[in-house]
Amino acid sequence: MEQFLAISLDLLVGFGETLKIFFVTLAIALPLGLLISFGSMAKWKPLSALTRAAVWVVRGTPLMLQLIVVYYGPGLIFGQMLFDSHSAVYITFSINYACYFSEIYRGGIQSISGGQYEAGQVLGMTRSETFFKVVLLQVVKRIIAPMSNEIITLVKDTSLARIITYYELIYFAQRYIKDGGLLWPLFYTAVYYLVFTAILTLLFRWLEKKLDYFKA
Amino acid sequence: MKMLEVKNLRKRFGDNEVLKGIELSLDKGEVLAIIGASGGGKTTLLRCLNFLERADEGEIIVNGKSVYHAVPGEKTEVTPEAQLSFGLVFQQFNLFPQYSVIENLMLAPTLRAKRQRSEGTAETHEEIRERAEQLLKTVGLTDKVNAYPCQLSGGQQQRVAIARALMLSPDILCFDEPTSALDPELTGEVLKVIRGLRDSDRTMIIVTHEMEFAKNVADKVIFVADGIIEEEGTPEDVLVNPKSEKIKAFLSIINKEELED
Ligand SMILES: Nc1ncnc2c1ncn2[C@@H]1O[C@H](COP(=O)(O)OP(=O)(O)O)[C@@H](O)[C@H]1O
Ligand SMILES: [Mg+2]
Repeated sequence: MEQFLAISLDLLVGFGETLKIFFVTLAIALPLGLLISFGSMAKWKPLSALTRAAVWVVRGTPLMLQLIVVYYGPGLIFGQMLFDSHSAVYITFSINYACYFSEIYRGGIQSISGGQYEAGQVLGMTRSETFFKVVLLQVVKRIIAPMSNEIITLVKDTSLARIITYYELIYFAQRYIKDGGLLWPLFYTAVYYLVFTAILTLLFRWLEKKLDYFKA
Repeated sequence: MKMLEVKNLRKRFGDNEVLKGIELSLDKGEVLAIIGASGGGKTTLLRCLNFLERADEGEIIVNGKSVYHAVPGEKTEVTPEAQLSFGLVFQQFNLFPQYSVIENLMLAPTLRAKRQRSEGTAETHEEIRERAEQLLKTVGLTDKVNAYPCQLSGGQQQRVAIARALMLSPDILCFDEPTSALDPELTGEVLKVIRGLRDSDRTMIIVTHEMEFAKNVADKVIFVADGIIEEEGTPEDVLVNPKSEKIKAFLSIINKEELED
């Protein structure tokens, strides 16, 4: 029992490291994704083509490979590591998820009728006022479901960080196999992920309810 | 001085010349009805006046001041003042769904006040709210102040849209088939509001298929076909004693449809 508590607490520390990846990634990727979606919708063709190509590359290759490239790549090319494992994880996860988010944003933004922008314009509102005060919340309402999918996937993708020596929950659990032949902590980590995704699911359901008062 | 003068307005989409030199003039308080078959360019004309499309050529003069003067091949800028000379009520209302009725009315004036705050001329929140409530009284929706658009009938939504446009005090208020998206039993309440606006001396341009309404409300009627004004005059001239064959054909089709309804 004492051992169970001690291991639970230790894994909690590991889960803290997992959550760091989760929150840092969201904090950067949510706004960065919006920027990328603007880029991919830009009227200036070279910018939109370039952005879409970059999004294609990021979405078309494994996150694990991207982690390895960002972490070891500079060392192999310039003979000098550029990032420690934490920075490499934050950078890679943020860019990777920003690209996924950008496609969801783009779909949401393009699904809003032009009439909303036109109404804003004839009422003397600027384009950015119309976007941020009128369009954005309608977009949010429409993308809650795909976004909640991506964000729940992110919770579990964090376990990939281990391969470039970012010590997160799964790593903490695996140590018990090596050090004491204890296997159950590894299986036990599922509880942490499940509890956290349950909280997220409830949060998204709440948000959906909250925006239920209007139709868009 | 004329409230509105439009000179030689031209607009093309690719090879398709949609407006071929439109000339208009309106006195203050006058109501102009625009009629014509589908595809004739009526919507494009209103969209050019509201700068949702940029006319390729021509001039728009409001109160003696040129607010838009397009020279072929050059991009013409639209100032905020020019934009607010006109208001537009859309066929599909285009209310902001996440805002309540009063918030729909207050949003644009509030943002404008925020922009003007540095100049010290800004309207206060209370003043804006008072005007909004006043206008909701005008369109008969005092009991819907806090309702959301999805809770309103089409007729009520269109009346909100009219009040929202009036919040910006446009010199000329335009309507693009304001009742076409409505069930027949709801058109009356919207037309009544527009009639009320005429009685309070609003200058308006109304694209409509409601011939009875045009006859009763308009001071002038123009018939637009293929991008030109085929016929213009008083409602009597255009709707009762039309001269051109085109408009006679158009009116006979409309009359037949009305009989069938
Ligand atoms: N954005 C656009 N791009 C290309 N063609 C357009 C566009 N808007 C309107 N048109 C064309 O202009 C013509 C006039 O359309 P419109 O002004 O909507 O007529 P109306 O309102 O009288 O029915 C039509 O032939 C239509 O296809
Ligand atoms: Mg039309």
